[in-house]
Amino acid sequence: MTGGHRRILVVEDDPETADQLVESLKTSGYQVDLATSGNEALSRGATGDYAVITIDRMLPDIDGIAVMRRFRDDGIAAPVLIVSALGEVDDRVRGLRAGGDDYLVKPFSFVELLARVEALGRRSDTIVKETILRVGDLALDLMSRTASRRGKDIVLFPREFQLLEYLVRNEGRVVSRAMLLQHVWDLHFDPSTNIIDVYVGRVRRKVDGQQAYPLIHTVRGTGYCLRAPG
Amino acid sequence: MLLAKTLTSSTFRLALIAIGTFGVIVSAIFSYVYLSTSAYVRSRSDRAIVTEYLSLKSAYERSGRDGLIALIEERTADGSFADNVYALADPSLVTLAGNLKIWPSTATAAEGWIEFRAGEPSPNAANRPLLRAMLGTFPSRDRLLVGKDISELDGFADQIKTAVISGIVLIFLLAGVASILVTRRTVGRIESINATSRAIMQSGLDQRIPLRGTHDEWDRVAENLNQMLNRIETLMGEVRQVSDNVAHDLRTPLTRMRGRLEKAYHGQRISADDQALIGDTITDLDAVLRIFSSLTRIAQIETQARKGAFRTVNLAEIAGEVVELYDAAAEQVGTHLTVVGDREALVTGDRDLIFDAIANLVDNAIKHGRTGGQVVVANENIDGKPVISIADDGPGIPAHEYEQVFKRFYRLEKRSGAQPGRGRRPSSRRADRNAR
Repeated sequence: MTGGHRRILVVEDDPETADQLVESLKTSGYQVDLATSGNEALSRGATGDYAVITIDRMLPDIDGIAVMRRFRDDGIAAPVLIVSALGEVDDRVRGLRAGGDDYLVKPFSFVELLARVEALGRRSDTIVKETILRVGDLALDLMSRTASRRGKDIVLFPREFQLLEYLVRNEGRVVSRAMLLQHVWDLHFDPSTNIIDVYVGRVRRKVDGQQAYPLIHTVRGTGYCLRAPG
Repeated sequence: MLLAKTLTSSTFRLALIAIGTFGVIVSAIFSYVYLSTSAYVRSRSDRAIVTEYLSLKSAYERSGRDGLIALIEERTADGSFADNVYALADPSLVTLAGNLKIWPSTATAAEGWIEFRAGEPSPNAANRPLLRAMLGTFPSRDRLLVGKDISELDGFADQIKTAVISGIVLIFLLAGVASILVTRRTVGRIESINATSRAIMQSGLDQRIPLRGTHDEWDRVAENLNQMLNRIETLMGEVRQVSDNVAHDLRTPLTRMRGRLEKAYHGQRISADDQALIGDTITDLDAVLRIFSSLTRIAQIETQARKGAFRTVNLAEIAGEVVELYDAAAEQVGTHLTVVGDREALVTGDRDLIFDAIANLVDNAIKHGRTGGQVVVANENIDGKPVISIADDGPGIPAHEYEQVFKRFYRLEKRSGAQPGRGRRPSSRRADRNAR
């Protein structure tokens, strides 16, 4: 995400949640516009060039999904993160089907929200057509689906490769457990066990074991971040 | 199957009682008709015999033995008395006149009625005409027999008897067949209601009992049951709506609360102790939220609200993915986790729920199985239905707790810090719901 393209539109009617959202996004270096109703969201969306739009589903005037549809009809392609108190799968599916790019259920952690906004913002950048991804001394060959560090192959199961690829694609950004479940396993619920940690633990042993420096870092209470030192 | 149900049904038993009662009455009426008809026919012939006997008797009294002999000979020669039999015998039973040459051996009584076969005794007695005669003895001890050939009358009575018996048999037969047909129809309707009830018990409230449009009592029963089901479904929906509303209303303040705590946690001027305190509070708050989600999810599953997300999924593929996900966890405790069996087991269901259900059971199996043991996830097709089983080689569930583990939130042992909703009950229930 380029510096000039860090504008976010937050559509949220609850004042306190809105304040918290705006503040935490601003702290992370975004410019934030706030709309507290569907109509305001529509007028702001039409004028501003946003990297990401977050929309609360339950708005006082127009339903969040309807607002999103109008955006899409008006040719506004900015990725939309639906934030909703309606958490069940049906609502989620409806939201995503209507053109949402991601879905976050209230209450959420702001770190999780930031991680998702970051990931969405990245998607709106130009898609890089690379066949080899590199972070530090780690190289992922997307064609042969193999990973290596300093030229030494790392033996990974297909799913482990997928997980590592997702972490690499989000290099330097926090990736939550829910995001991993969603993007690596296509699961939209929280198994609320430490299963993801155990799984990432094994990938980490394979990737970081006996290496000069670790690449996969745990972000306490949130998830993981893959980054090279320096 | 249906025939067995028909024969054991109470309707059929009632029909049998009705047939029995009706049959006894019909038999009694027919028997009365038979008896009175044959009695009437017999009495007419008897009256004719008596008249003839009396006229011969008066001839005897008027003109003695010789006069009677003359009269008898006159009668036997006359064609209009061809059906009649006559015999006049002396006291030593030697016939003096009449068309019966030999005095019947059975006619020993001084007077009264006898029935006998004419001619010599022979094996084919039935071919000889049956005669009925009146006996009398005059004061001179001469004996007179006047009778008639009643073979035809007897044949007529036999015909009536045959008609009556076949009538009764036919009535029983028709009544039997009719009652089986009626009972089958009744049992069929009840069975369709039963089948729907079973389907409702197994897969939810969206089924209805089919109506035949006959507006009979069965249609009315079905209509009422369907209305009852509609009502129950509405109520369940309302309950779910309430829990959804509660869930939604709680989510906003909880979001604010979590936001404040997070802000405080990342605040600059707080001590490490305070930060730990807030961190723990956030963790607990998240746990509360998960319990809360579990509850609403179970409510949704039980009211079938998630059917919207149902599509054809491959159970075996999901099982494979679960095994893949839990492989690392199994490896950690030295458990050998494998998936075996068919590669394809298609079911209609919600992928997330099925995944969650299998994951729950695998998670349980790894945690409660033997350390360094085996956990096997097997996909099979039994009777064309996909079945998935998760087995460990640990101590297992005690037999007396088999029923208990299907109860919501039940766990074999209490573990501190355990979260409800992770017990076997939701998983079993979900597995049951989804794997059809």
